[in-house]
Amino acid sequence: MPEVARAAGAARAGQAVVGPDLLRDEVAAVLASGGAVQALFAAAAGDGLEARYVCATPAGDLVLRCPAPRGEVPTIIDLAPHLAWDEREARDLFGLRFAGHEPHRPLVHHPGDLAAWATPVLGDDVHQVAVGPVHAGVIESGHFRFHTVGERIVHLDIQLFHKHRGLERVAEGGSAEEALATVGRACAACSVATGIAIAHAVEAARGLWPDDDLRRSRTLLAELERLYNHLHDIGAICAGVGLAPGAMAFAALKERAQRAIADLAGHRFMFGAVAAGAGAVAADRAAAGRARGALRELAPDVAAAWRSLLFDASLRDRARGAGALPADEARRLGTVGPAARATGVATDARERSPRLRYAGLRPAVPPGAEGDVAARMEARALELTDTLAMLDELLDGPVAPGHALPSAPPSAHGVGRAESPRGETVCAVELDGGAVRRVHLRTASFANWPAVARACRGAILPDFPLVNKSFELCYACVDR
Amino acid sequence: MFLLLRDLRRARRDAALPRGPRGALQLRHVDAGSCNGCEHELGAASGPAYDLSRFGISITASPRHADVLLVTGPVTGGMRVALERAYEAMSEPRLVAALGDCALGCGPFRRSPEAAGRLEDVLPVDVRIAGCPPSPDAIAAGLIPLLDRRAGAG
Ligand code: SF4
Repeated sequence: MPEVARAAGAARAGQAVVGPDLLRDEVAAVLASGGAVQALFAAAAGDGLEARYVCATPAGDLVLRCPAPRGEVPTIIDLAPHLAWDEREARDLFGLRFAGHEPHRPLVHHPGDLAAWATPVLGDDVHQVAVGPVHAGVIESGHFRFHTVGERIVHLDIQLFHKHRGLERVAEGGSAEEALATVGRACAACSVATGIAIAHAVEAARGLWPDDDLRRSRTLLAELERLYNHLHDIGAICAGVGLAPGAMAFAALKERAQRAIADLAGHRFMFGAVAAGAGAVAADRAAAGRARGALRELAPDVAAAWRSLLFDASLRDRARGAGALPADEARRLGTVGPAARATGVATDARERSPRLRYAGLRPAVPPGAEGDVAARMEARALELTDTLAMLDELLDGPVAPGHALPSAPPSAHGVGRAESPRGETVCAVELDGGAVRRVHLRTASFANWPAVARACRGAILPDFPLVNKSFELCYACVDR
Repeated sequence: MFLLLRDLRRARRDAALPRGPRGALQLRHVDAGSCNGCEHELGAASGPAYDLSRFGISITASPRHADVLLVTGPVTGGMRVALERAYEAMSEPRLVAALGDCALGCGPFRRSPEAAGRLEDVLPVDVRIAGCPPSPDAIAAGLIPLLDRRAGAG
């Protein structure tokens, strides 16, 4: 186990153990160096528990491990407010306490007593509107509790984890391949990005580095996933304002994309297309050419459909100014993906993905990004253009699966990440020989739900479906 | 908007599903712990390319109006009560359809310590639609015969 260096986390990569008394100094040092703490979770270590902090530092990835002999570590949510849900989850799942994070409001557990988990909102005429977990449309299960005055939303408490399947627990003790098959399937719409993040984490721990073919084949899958998701999401926003022609047009475009994807990768959601240590998808010249041809036909139709939406006054009127998320709030809440870029925060994990093929990529920030529904929609439209261009290049010739090759000595801990259609997803694994001791997945949806609550503050209740659809977050990849 | 509708016409042309008998079937969907894949495909089945409403099959907002409860996922502990309540809210005759391998007990989450593992252990299941996720065609093929069955039941 490496020695603990006092407040020097920023200059190290790998893993380090830090006592509870020095934890906050270490975290502060990581932040001061320009690094970030991207995830926090609990793990069993020896007889007790420890808290783990996944840090991205200028020197590389660092897993800080803080033993909690008395079941308690200091909170860091004053230093890194975006980790509030992470601490609540670790407390619920492992019983780990975070001193200073009071009161604890359960996140995974659902106490019957409203006061135990909902935020007290006081004032004249404040009332509550409870929605879910079963909704009116075909959507995932989750509970929303709106605190409103009239129809104006004052505060929103989001209660997820109705779909908690304990997938991280299921994966523990099995092989890395099984972990990818279980945890990687937490969510259909992000299965490629999640799979890549887990595969990267496993390969980082095993000291493997992807060859050119593997980088290309995974990048291809990730962009195909972005393509059908962004088409879906723009359609969902149209549905959110009741614009049936827009919703139907983009649903049809998504269907065409998914048919091309199934033809190329064997599955409409690319299940099973990402493996650890090697590629799992191959296409000969003819198959790649067919997919390229289908996407070349799709591209002008996507552009035309988007142009039509720009001229739809009723959609523009509803989308502009609705559910605005200020940029400083996006930074404070750790918002990722198109939702962050729509506020002007130019962050995209693809820019920092040497394990994939994204040289020269620039985050797509819509001009005059206002952080509202219109901007989130536009961010996706911009990315669709880039993604279609990238796919055209990636499909220029046969697709070989590729391999990950030894490049560094193996270690127990590995960190992986990928930019899903919703933003940066981070995975940390701890391996024990061939077996997985702990795997933790923090998806872009997990990162962004608090931003949904923030964005609908001050909105009217009937705008919530629209604001919610403009983020289009998954519940499945939060609940796991 | 006419530009948008051009795509729909093309999608309609491609759809080669048989026409169903007259009648209607109202579905209420409950996600009991899915990965959202089954939801995407159910959405596609009611979307422009497959358009289940052509057959008289549509999604209704409330279980009180539903003929069929369409359930996805391995029935997690967190969803069990809500699922049972939705079932109780339905009037007779009612049917339950297990949509996807998870609800059938053979999906990737069958080992979940937090879930019942299959819908059959929670509610009586009348219709089974296999697949991970079932394709929109499979969903249509699983539901269209219910139009007849409902006519018989009514
Ligand atoms: S059957 Fe497959 S697609 Fe459907 S919820 Fe289960 S894992 Fe997801």
